[in-house]
Amino acid sequence: MTNSAAPTLLSEAGVARLRRSAPALVLLLVLAVASLISGSTGGLRLASPDRSRVDQLRRAIGELPSGALVLIAFDADLGTYAEVRPTTRAAIADLAAHGARLAIVSFTPEGRAIAAAELGRIARAGGEEPPADLGFVAGSEAGLVRSIESIVPSAAEGDLADAIRQRGGGIGAFDMVLIVSGSDMSARSWVEQVGTRLPELPMVAIAPTFLDPELEPYLRSGQLTALLATLREGVAYAEAVSAGSAAGSGPVVGPLPMLVGMLAALAVMAEAAFRRLGRRRRRPAGRSAARRSPS
Amino acid sequence: MNGFAGADLGGTVATWVAAIATIAVWSYLVGARRIFVLMQHLLAGLATGYLVLLAIRDVLLPRLAVPLVEHADERVLLVPALLMAGTLVAASWLPRPVVAPVAAIVVGGIAAFALGGAVVGTILPQIAAALPTTRAASPDLAGEVISLAITSLVLLAFLHGAPRGRLTTRGASIGRWLLVGGIGGWLGFLLVSRLSLLVDRVAFLLGDWLTVLR
Repeated sequence: MTNSAAPTLLSEAGVARLRRSAPALVLLLVLAVASLISGSTGGLRLASPDRSRVDQLRRAIGELPSGALVLIAFDADLGTYAEVRPTTRAAIADLAAHGARLAIVSFTPEGRAIAAAELGRIARAGGEEPPADLGFVAGSEAGLVRSIESIVPSAAEGDLADAIRQRGGGIGAFDMVLIVSGSDMSARSWVEQVGTRLPELPMVAIAPTFLDPELEPYLRSGQLTALLATLREGVAYAEAVSAGSAAGSGPVVGPLPMLVGMLAALAVMAEAAFRRLGRRRRRPAGRSAARRSPS
Repeated sequence: MNGFAGADLGGTVATWVAAIATIAVWSYLVGARRIFVLMQHLLAGLATGYLVLLAIRDVLLPRLAVPLVEHADERVLLVPALLMAGTLVAASWLPRPVVAPVAAIVVGGIAAFALGGAVVGTILPQIAAALPTTRAASPDLAGEVISLAITSLVLLAFLHGAPRGRLTTRGASIGRWLLVGGIGGWLGFLLVSRLSLLVDRVAFLLGDWLTVLR
């Protein structure tokens, strides 16, 4: 009596499962290889060639008076912060290079977690004056309105906190606000709640791509002084800041993995389109004719 | 290198935990659903714990408890605020006529902020910015005319149930295709956005964890 089932490493179900997941695993592998060799692909550029948005933000920061107080509102989402992280860090480096005195506040719990991590990073890097931590303000838009009167926590100490208190202690004490937007609290809330009450306060925003259609009109109407809301603009800004100073934003997304990913996405869409076309061709002619006929 | 973790022991442990969590989430790709569900539960638990901690440390203690204890005579309004908060917490056990006014005040307050801000901060300024001015011609006149035409056609696509002529029907059809084109363009933007997040995770594993990417 012989056993016909030979011992195998993987069961049939396991092989089928691996076959189904093979495209995703191959994509991850290709992205990893592309990330590794991305540094040696000089011909590819991710940065936007249109520098008007970059110039707007750089001009807004460049026009700040020496020792200006700048509030950074960290309300990004944990899920999308990686997209705007290099841009945000470049803006912080740009502001520091122009001698701005920074304070960080958050109106969302997720933003507070990111702000705490960034404060830790800045503290580890060292510097002349670390940003003042104004903590988390609860109440969403109501909290935002309340902060116009008072934004400095009673427990906050230090020269920077005192400087804000001397100038009124509210959002109006600042020369500019940099809004790192997320889905819960975006620059729109700032424009609607703060911009209407403090119309002279310049507000600049950094936002992930999905917020671009929502925030673009505020830039056009002048309610926002500057806006960076696409990956390519962010990379262009980070490169511009890195080129002008020793302090940089850290590594930015490489163009080669992005190109590979886009090609993979196009291949998936083309495959889906061809499959749909094939199904339509296989459909019986009578059925489609009956469908076209109204009666 | 995302720079969130330092070079000390705590930073190294954080990097390893983040790397293992990333790979555990990706294990869903090969059908390891239990590990993925475990990661979901871990995220939900951590998020809840973090929110509770944030609420106690940054809101309830410094903005409610401490002012009530130390400056009770100056912060009289905090007493009804405390009562309202307590009512909402105990809403499941309290009769509806007690909870309803408190919930109405909360919802009304939020709506007032949102609606007032939307009218004064968005609708009116955007209408003002879109109106043609008597000054020199806009530098982007062609773009504005195209925007107006596209907006009108897309709005026509939402004309449901109204009597339509042949021209309106054709316009609505073009509007629908423009809408599809717009959504497609936006999805393209989103694809780039999400792809950058995936590339960032790959770079984290290669750079921060395996240190083969510099």
